[in-house]
Order: sequence, then C-alpha cells, then structure tokens
Amino acid sequence: MAEQTFRLPDLGEGLTEAQLVTWRVEEGGQVEVNEPLCDVETAKAVVVIPSPWAGTIQKLHARPGESVAVGSALVTIAAQGAPAPVEPLPAESVEATPSTLVGYGPGAGPPAGIRRRARVAPSTPQMGSDVRAAPFVRQLAKERGVDLAALTGSGPGGRITRADVEGAASPVAATSAAAAASTTDGERRISVVGIRKAIARQMVRSVTTIPQFTEFAVFDATKLLAARERQKQSGRSMTPLPYFILALVKAVRAFPLMNSSWDEAHDEIVVKQPINVGIAVNTSQGLLVPVLRGAERLDLMAIADQAARLIEGARAGTLKPVEMSGGTITITNVGASGPVETGTPIISPTECCVGAFGAIKPRPMVIDGKVVARSGAWISISVDHRIVDGALATEFLTALVGELETSRA
Amino acid sequence: MADVVQVVGTDDPVRPLFSEAGELRADARSGLGLDAAALRDLYQKMVLIRRADKEALNLQRQGELGLWGQYLGQEAIHVGAVAALEPTDWIFPSYREFGMAMCRGVDPAEMLTWFRGLSHGPWDPRKYAFAPLAVPVATQVPHAVGFAMGSKLRGDDDVVLGTFGDGATSKGDWHEAMNFAGVFRAPVILLCQNNHWAISVPLAKQTAGSIAERAPGYGFPGIRIDGNDVLGVFAAVRAAAERARRGDGPYLIEAMTYRMGAHTSSDDPTRYRLDSELQAWSAKDPIARYQSWLQGQGLLDEAAAAAIDGEAETMAEQMRTRLRAAVPAPAGEAIFGRVYERPPDPFTEEREEFEASLEGT
Repeated sequence: MAEQTFRLPDLGEGLTEAQLVTWRVEEGGQVEVNEPLCDVETAKAVVVIPSPWAGTIQKLHARPGESVAVGSALVTIAAQGAPAPVEPLPAESVEATPSTLVGYGPGAGPPAGIRRRARVAPSTPQMGSDVRAAPFVRQLAKERGVDLAALTGSGPGGRITRADVEGAASPVAATSAAAAASTTDGERRISVVGIRKAIARQMVRSVTTIPQFTEFAVFDATKLLAARERQKQSGRSMTPLPYFILALVKAVRAFPLMNSSWDEAHDEIVVKQPINVGIAVNTSQGLLVPVLRGAERLDLMAIADQAARLIEGARAGTLKPVEMSGGTITITNVGASGPVETGTPIISPTECCVGAFGAIKPRPMVIDGKVVARSGAWISISVDHRIVDGALATEFLTALVGELETSRA
Repeated sequence: MADVVQVVGTDDPVRPLFSEAGELRADARSGLGLDAAALRDLYQKMVLIRRADKEALNLQRQGELGLWGQYLGQEAIHVGAVAALEPTDWIFPSYREFGMAMCRGVDPAEMLTWFRGLSHGPWDPRKYAFAPLAVPVATQVPHAVGFAMGSKLRGDDDVVLGTFGDGATSKGDWHEAMNFAGVFRAPVILLCQNNHWAISVPLAKQTAGSIAERAPGYGFPGIRIDGNDVLGVFAAVRAAAERARRGDGPYLIEAMTYRMGAHTSSDDPTRYRLDSELQAWSAKDPIARYQSWLQGQGLLDEAAAAAIDGEAETMAEQMRTRLRAAVPAPAGEAIFGRVYERPPDPFTEEREEFEASLEGT
C-alpha cells in the first residue's frame, strides 16, 4: 500500500486556485481510477476531478467552500493491489514541488523537462546590478515593492525566482484557508468566495454607480386572493408570486422605460425588448437570481410553471449560469410571513428597476368612509433616477397597484 | 460570368450520392463496396478514438496534460474521412484532430506528450502523412493547398485533405487558400467540420450564409452533408478524392456536426449555450447511430460490441500508464535540436554553452 497525495492541478492554463464545491468521496471510502473525486470551481468553469489512482481515501485536505491553491494537497489515497502507479515524472528534489506538471502555481519554477543535479547552496546575496532574475521576476518585484538585492535566490546559480519574490512580499502564504482560520481578539475573519463575493461586487457596483430612490405603496389583495382561490378549486394551487410577476410585466408594458439600462459609455438609455424577470431566491448557497425569460409572451400558468422550475433549480443548485443571467428587471419579496412589511431593494446592475413585495395579510383599510379589514400587502420599487424621475415612478407604481388590484385567474 | 457557373457545374461526383438534405442516399450507401470487416472497422475506430478522448480529458483534470480539446461527437468525420483516403494522402489538421491521427496509426500516448508540454511534435509527419496539429486558426488550410500544389507539380497522384472548423472560414487564410486552390485546381479536399461553435461564438454569428455554397464562388463545387454519418463522410471524401486524383481540382465538404464537449478543458460551455441544444444533438450521436445500423444489418452483435469496448479500455489504460512514464527530451535537445538540419558553428557553440550551464545546477 503506497500512500499518494494528489495535488490540485492547474485546470485551465494559468489558474492559481480553485474553490472546492463538493466532495463525491468520503474518508475511508474506495475509489477507482477516473471515478469522480470532487467538483471544483475555477475562475473559468466548474469541473469534476476524476481520481488518478485506485485505492482507499485516506484524507480529504479541503472543505467545501474553501479555496485551494494550485499545487496544494487535495486528497491522499492509499493505492491498492498492484505497485504504485508511475509517478508523473520524478519530482525535482524539492520538498514543496507539486506533482502537477503544468501551470504557474507554487513551485512551478524548474521546468519538468530539465533534469538537474542536486542544487548547490544558494550563493551569497547578490549586489545591486549583479542581481540575477528574469525580467518578469523583476517586474513582479517592482509591483510588490520587493528589493531584489535583499533576497537570496533559490534558483540555479543564485537566480531569484518568482517564488522568492512572492515569499518576500507575503511572508505568510495568503491562502484564504489560512485566513479563514485566523482569529484576533475575538474577531473572526471569514474568507469571502463564490456567491458571497459576487453579491458583494454587484451591490457595490449598484450603489456606487446608480443613483436610486425607492417608493412605497399598499395594495388591496382581495381580488388577487379570490382569483387564487378559484385557481385552487380548479385544482391548481399557486403562490402569489406568479400574480406579482404578471402584474409587473403588464405595468412594464405600459412603461417600457422601467425595462431599460443606462449606457454610461454612450450617454444613452437602452430600452430592452423582452422582459426578462430576475427572481431573487434565498438558497443555502446564498442569494441567487434565476431569470424568467420573455415573460411578456407568457400567461399566468406558464409564468407559474417556469418560476417554479427556476426556483426549484436555484435551491437544488442545478441551474446553468446562462439561466441566471440576462435579467432586465428584478422581483424580490420581503418575507412571506412575519412582522416585516417592506424594504428598500437595491437595483441589480445594469437594470433600471427592482420591485419588492411584502406579505399579504389582513390590515385595516378605509372603504366608503369605514375602517374595514382587508387583505393587502406593501410593495416597493427602487428605480434608477438617471432614467426615471419621481413622477414617472409614481405613475408606474400606481399602474402596478392597479394591475394587482384587478388580478384575475 | 456564365463561364464560371459552367466550370462549377460540369463535374460533381459527390452531389448525386446525397439527398437535398445532405443525407447519403440508400443506393449510394449500399454501393460503397465495403465488406463486413471494413464496416466493423469504422465502428471500432470510432469507439477507440472516443475512449481516447475521454481518457485525455481525465488526464488533463488530473494535472497530467496542460490542455485538452475534446472532439466528442465528431468521431464520424475523423474516422470516415481518414478511411476514404490512401495512406499516402497527406492530412493537414487543426488542433482537434487527435482522432484522425490515431486512425493514421500515430501512438496516442506519444501524441499526448505534445499536450503535456514534453514535445514540439511527437510524430514524424512524413511517416504518417499527417502534418503537425495547427493551433492558430486556419493556418493549416493554405498549408494543405500548398502541399497539394507540390504534389501536382511533382506529377504524383497524391491528394491532400485540409480540415478545419466553421470558425476558420472567417479567416483571411481560409479565403486565400480557397482562392488559390480554385485558380490552380489544387488536388485538395477542404473538409469543414461545422460543429456549430467557435469557442463561444455560435454559427449564426460566424456566418450569415452557407459555408458549402461559397465554393462555387471560388470556382469549384461544395456540398453540405450530415457529418454524424460515418458512411456519408466516407462516401463524400472518397468521391472528392477520386475527383482530385483525376486532376479535376478541389472540393469543399461542409460536414454538419456538433461539439458535444467544451471548446477545451479551459472552457465552460454551460455559460453560453443551453442544455436543450446539447440534448437535440445527443439524439444524433454518430456512434449510437452507426451501431444500430450495423446491428440492423446483422454485422455487429452484442459480444462483438463488448469486445471492442474492452479493447478501448485496455488502450486507455496503456495510454495513461505510458504517458505518465514518458520522459522529456533533455533541455538542450528540446530547445536546439530541431532548428537546423546542419547547425552552423555559432549555434552549436551556443547549445554547448547552454548545456554546460545546466551542469552543476
């Protein structure tokens, strides 16, 4: 039984890390050659890594959600039966050299092709112009503010390598795995990767580039609930969401500017033809926004079907990236139950409008001069003030309330 | 004007074999003159090259290869085209024609050393009449035409196959090659593997017209055929090759297929294309289709198919083991070895100096 550690290879021509999405094996389990080990997400793609060896899984070196640097240990496998498979080319004496052959990860220094004898001890520090380093290493040193003259080169003939510069620039390996664990005075630092990082980027982009304002209204949901009840009796139960989407689409058709985008580069407003409704869905992975395409062509039933499929897919994590892009307007809700009535949604760049719906519940309304209990809900919209002024937003919101209050099955 | 149309219309032995939709006609299919062994051989080769493709992708994911470009779904073109040529007819491939090279007898493990960064050209092109893989898009098309011209000037009866994707037809090199081939009636078959995607650019954004129908503009015929039918590809290439061998010049074949995998191992096609498209093409899988046809003809039973699958597994295992054991050429040879046939002195000195610099490091 030979124990072998498989290190994360560079999966896409120059990547330095990948995020572990999920393991498909367990410690102690058996694995065959080419059987899937895990899914990882790189900057380019989500890929399944097949096992290079058959044997018993000894150790999984990373947790789902963690970032793994190219060249770091991923899994240790005790190979079974036949002699250990041929190592991918003899490792070059150095302890930290990953067995991965390609890429620019740590230790990519000596090309696998060159057989070298044992390294001579690094020579004494080189003075000024005697520094031996390749142009790209010099450039890197300049960028990182590293003084090459102060370094001892670990390369052939005392040459300073990329790894030397990187080591000097950041004494502690700056992997997020290390960062995740570190604590100081009760603070805990959480590495931000994947969806959290994407949300953060989008939100910063929205509030720093879009001047947005929010308006609120309450609508009477009596007819909507009645329509829903009739649907239910004819054997079709649905949430209020399809009604909200349909009303939004109808209102947008009357106010096409709500379905537009501000083109910064050309000082133009781009009015979109199809109405692609992004639906904000809270999932275990975080907030995802699947997109219901061409909603203007769909009736209530089709909207209900597609929205249900997209929401289910978002929760199960089975949606394709293409199903989560291309939105032209977004809809979200502020809790279907509980005390929260409304909020100020943030626009998803580069859309013009986002609508937030609150819970439908009985509330006092004045009808014909008398206070009566009627079902209703809050609705708020945030709009891009570069495109839409308050007066137009008010007209749109009024139209939206009108659509909601005349909902039919 | 009328003359050009006439030139194109005079001699087209390929078109009568196919329906308007590019399907091989039933009589043409039964008249190919291939015996049972030859028909089974086409199947076996498709299975083998698909298995090699799968293994290579696994090896890339395991860090053993720098890059891999799958040809999954395009096996009928690789196998059918090579089978239709004489072994001495040269092939000028792009970077996705590993399957074609295998059909020519190139050792798959040795060939993978290229994708592993160990070799600049792991096979002798002259031995297999198979040119090095061309990574820059469309550069191999003028090479193919030029090589065909060489054959014509020498007066031998070799023909050349230049193959490329739909994306290549947007390049200037492609136009120059097509024009040159037409003007000088080069004995060349120009085989477009239209797999619908040039990385993330769909066919509709690649060309507003038909690729096959451009051929008459260059003065020779062209046809669009079903590229997922191995016998259709075989029939078209063979007829076009016979025509070229007779001295009647070039022919453009646009074989319609689909890139079932990613552009390369660095690409994620789910970001730009829908599952529904993939599903539709899965139903047209070239191996499944041919397998059921062979079974219908009583030429392939389950035991024979299982034996071929077993052979493919063995091949994949050997490919993996032998690739891992591959030893790179020494650095001096790798850098200096293939520059000059007779190196000039200063060059030899530089090589010696370089090799000395590696000593003691």
